[in-house]
Amino acid sequence: MEEIRIEHLSKDFDGFVAVDDVSLTINNGELFSFLGPSGCGKTTLLRMIAGFEAPSKGRIVIGNIDITDIPPYKRQVNTIFQNYSLFPHMTVFDNVAFGLRIRKTPKPEIKDRVGEMLALVKMEDQAFRYPDQLSGGMKQRIAIARALINKPKVLLLDEPLAALDLKLRQHMLIELMNIHDAVGITFIYVTHDQGEAMSISDRVALMNHGKIVQEGPPDDIYERPQSIFSAYFIGETNLITGEVIAIEDGFMQLKCPDGNGGSFEIGSTFHFAQVLGRELTVSLRPEKIAISRSKPRVQDDVNMLRGTIEDILYLGTHTQYIVRVGALRFRVFSQHKRVYFDDKALDWEEAVWLFWHNSDSWLIDEIQDNETSATEPPDGGVNHYQRSTKRPTKV
Amino acid sequence: MSSLPKQNWNLSNNNSSRAESKRNIASWALTAPVLFWLIVFFLIPYLIVIIYSFLTPDIYDVKFEFSLDAYRQAFSADYLNTFYHSFSLAILTTLLCLLLGFPVAYYIARAKDKLKNTLLVLIIIPFWTNLIIRIFSWRIFLAYNGVLNDVLINMGIITKPLEIMRTDLAVTLVMVYVYLPYMILPLYSVLEKLDFTLLHAAMDLGANEVKAFFRITLPLSIEGIFAGSLLVFIPALGAYLIPQLVGNQKTLYLGQVITYKIKNIPRNWPMASALSLTLLFFVAVLLILLYALYRHNKSRRIA
Amino acid sequence: MKRITASRFYKGFNLTAFSLVMTFLYVPIVILVIFSFNDAKIITGWRGFTWKYYAQLWQNDIIKQAFRNTMLIAVLSTLVSTVFGILTALGLQNKKFSGRKLISALIYVPLVIPDILMGVSLALLFNFTRVNTGMFTVLIAHITFCISYTVIVINSRLEGFDYSLVEAAMDLGAKPGYIFWRIKFPLMLPGIIAAALLAFTLSIDDFIITFFTSGRGFDTLPIYVEGTIRHGTITTINSLSTLMIGFTLFLVVITKRMRKVLISAL
Repeated sequence: MEEIRIEHLSKDFDGFVAVDDVSLTINNGELFSFLGPSGCGKTTLLRMIAGFEAPSKGRIVIGNIDITDIPPYKRQVNTIFQNYSLFPHMTVFDNVAFGLRIRKTPKPEIKDRVGEMLALVKMEDQAFRYPDQLSGGMKQRIAIARALINKPKVLLLDEPLAALDLKLRQHMLIELMNIHDAVGITFIYVTHDQGEAMSISDRVALMNHGKIVQEGPPDDIYERPQSIFSAYFIGETNLITGEVIAIEDGFMQLKCPDGNGGSFEIGSTFHFAQVLGRELTVSLRPEKIAISRSKPRVQDDVNMLRGTIEDILYLGTHTQYIVRVGALRFRVFSQHKRVYFDDKALDWEEAVWLFWHNSDSWLIDEIQDNETSATEPPDGGVNHYQRSTKRPTKV
Repeated sequence: MSSLPKQNWNLSNNNSSRAESKRNIASWALTAPVLFWLIVFFLIPYLIVIIYSFLTPDIYDVKFEFSLDAYRQAFSADYLNTFYHSFSLAILTTLLCLLLGFPVAYYIARAKDKLKNTLLVLIIIPFWTNLIIRIFSWRIFLAYNGVLNDVLINMGIITKPLEIMRTDLAVTLVMVYVYLPYMILPLYSVLEKLDFTLLHAAMDLGANEVKAFFRITLPLSIEGIFAGSLLVFIPALGAYLIPQLVGNQKTLYLGQVITYKIKNIPRNWPMASALSLTLLFFVAVLLILLYALYRHNKSRRIA
Repeated sequence: MKRITASRFYKGFNLTAFSLVMTFLYVPIVILVIFSFNDAKIITGWRGFTWKYYAQLWQNDIIKQAFRNTMLIAVLSTLVSTVFGILTALGLQNKKFSGRKLISALIYVPLVIPDILMGVSLALLFNFTRVNTGMFTVLIAHITFCISYTVIVINSRLEGFDYSLVEAAMDLGAKPGYIFWRIKFPLMLPGIIAAALLAFTLSIDDFIITFFTSGRGFDTLPIYVEGTIRHGTITTINSLSTLMIGFTLFLVVITKRMRKVLISAL
């Protein structure tokens, strides 16, 4: 197996620890993403795998070869650079042929293989143009062709779509997945965009401050964040802190202060032991909450809260409501489905019911301190409207 | 297994510091020829200038006898007058270049991209034309029986030819002519980067054109003004050829005096050295002042 | 409405200033060129068209010798100072280089000192060392003042160099030597050419430093022209000047052409 093992890898830049004791294994043929805010160490990690930075500590092993001290030009690893780094003084053809020429490949073979590669990235008719005559998306394709023609064991992609506009980005994402399927080698993808990482990856490693915060398939990270950072960085969420006052049948009962001196109780699943009596935080994704003017028929295992609509943001695919419960604010996403809306739309300052299933919230073993803003959501995962109307907090 | 990372760390750390010192040696090797050249042909000559300034002149050469005469003379009234002439000429030239150069640089910076290149080439052609030829062309133009007088007489504006050649006016005119591109080009490169929407913003906020210019354009182009002024002022201080070819012998400038002391017989090399060092001293003081001003301006903007 | 007229005035003012300056810059040169074809011994008045001063130029051995000297010095000093410039700029690439400040200072200081001082100091050096002044000393002087320019031009080109291209080449399997000749050097080339052209023009143009460092019997064109303006007949100088202006135009045009080619390649 040609898996990549990263063992206790660290990188120290004159006292600044960019990557801090990272260990993980990337499987052969996997599309693996490193996701995190800028400065989290993901690019440094990638550059160490490519060989542009020497690790301060630790090893990188591909298959059973330790490549830690092998110079970049001897590694069977190729990189797609953030700005593509196409050689401006060479044609598309010469750019793609670069690796083959270095290996002294016979001319006819170069021609054939460059042709094949250009066909793979659908750029056959651009062979004799220069990089500055190409659009961003085209440059991207050439960069991919230039890397893949060397038949690397691993392809590294450093924020490959960052320079493209939204529509093109979505298009190239699908293209990248197709290319990954076609060549079947390991892709390691670095991005700060959670959407990209979620949609493209087999597995994601979420990084912060040089460490891997959480690692797993995208849905796992989204549905089961292990830290407040994870919960915030990927998607949006409501964090509710309270004291666990009872445990019953795999559910726990949480007593939460509402910030106005009162409190409410909610039920939630939990997945680790010894929670009773502790103060803990649950993460509740906004789309898991239902909102209604009328009180829902009472069901078991459903939490219900009474609140007031403070703000409504129409976002096309869904509407976001900011609902005040006591002094806390809940963010709620609701889709526009007529089946659910028997009467006219909700309005500002209207009293509503919020309800969700007990097992839709996820317990995090950290305390969200409502008094301070110590756990501001990290950059990158924050939308502009998230800044102004944050999680449930005291008013 | 647990001891391995540590070992690795030591190894790669050694490697990187060894690689660093290797690169340092390579840099020394690459820069050695220029370093050697500039020490021998730039620094050492100045040492000799310093030594010569304390020696005694001879008709063709110097006598190796210590003397302070050169400095005594350099600070006498006659020579201080020369310094005064040179400085006022350099200041006047710089101001006139700035006054004329700014609108031109501004015009080019705001021109359409296609036109921009052509306009720049128009500025660059005289800049690249041989200095002597440019001065010579002014001699033809301004001469007593030259083109300017011809045209003015034929148009009936004057009856007697103007005597502009060999006056201080001619010197100033040609100085501005020669040094103008040195002012325009750095001003242009700053103005070209200037975000002109800032001007619109200022006008939107109620500033009129004049106010917008003094509050926005001028402060933001200060670096270009500094650079251009230096490029004009410093060579203007040591100008020899222009005063020599279009000026008179009544007003002598520093460059002329220094040259005469070296080229004319009896030679006075200690005097030339002392004057050169005094000029160097003034330039150094000026540069330090300007640099301090620049730093102050920059730090204030950041703060 | 008022705003539009005001900014129009503003624009008109700049255009006027620009036109005036252009007239100022070009009128003397144009007159010089026209008068080089004037069939008259003195400069005043138009006496009919003639090529004869160009013919005289061709027969003047002193001018031809001065031209050869100028070219020889220009080519040699361009070559040496450009090679020096490449080496030094490459050495300065290393940001942690311990001699970086020293060398940068030595490069920049000559630029902010009036050039007459370099002439004086070199004249004294050659006097002190009893070196016979002539071609050799002029060449040394020209290399000395060109170095600063070539290093700065090539260095600024390297500063803007996208280092990720080197990484990309390394990533694709290229070794350092191959990267230098196939990636770094071709991308430095426009800077090198610009530096060489600048050195060449500076060398051809220089009067004052040559004046201080050349002995009798080694005249470059500027030295010859200056001497002739002061003492001799100036009719050939008109035609000589016109040719030199033509040469300048030629240089400007080829660099523009070249820039286009180079930019499209970049």
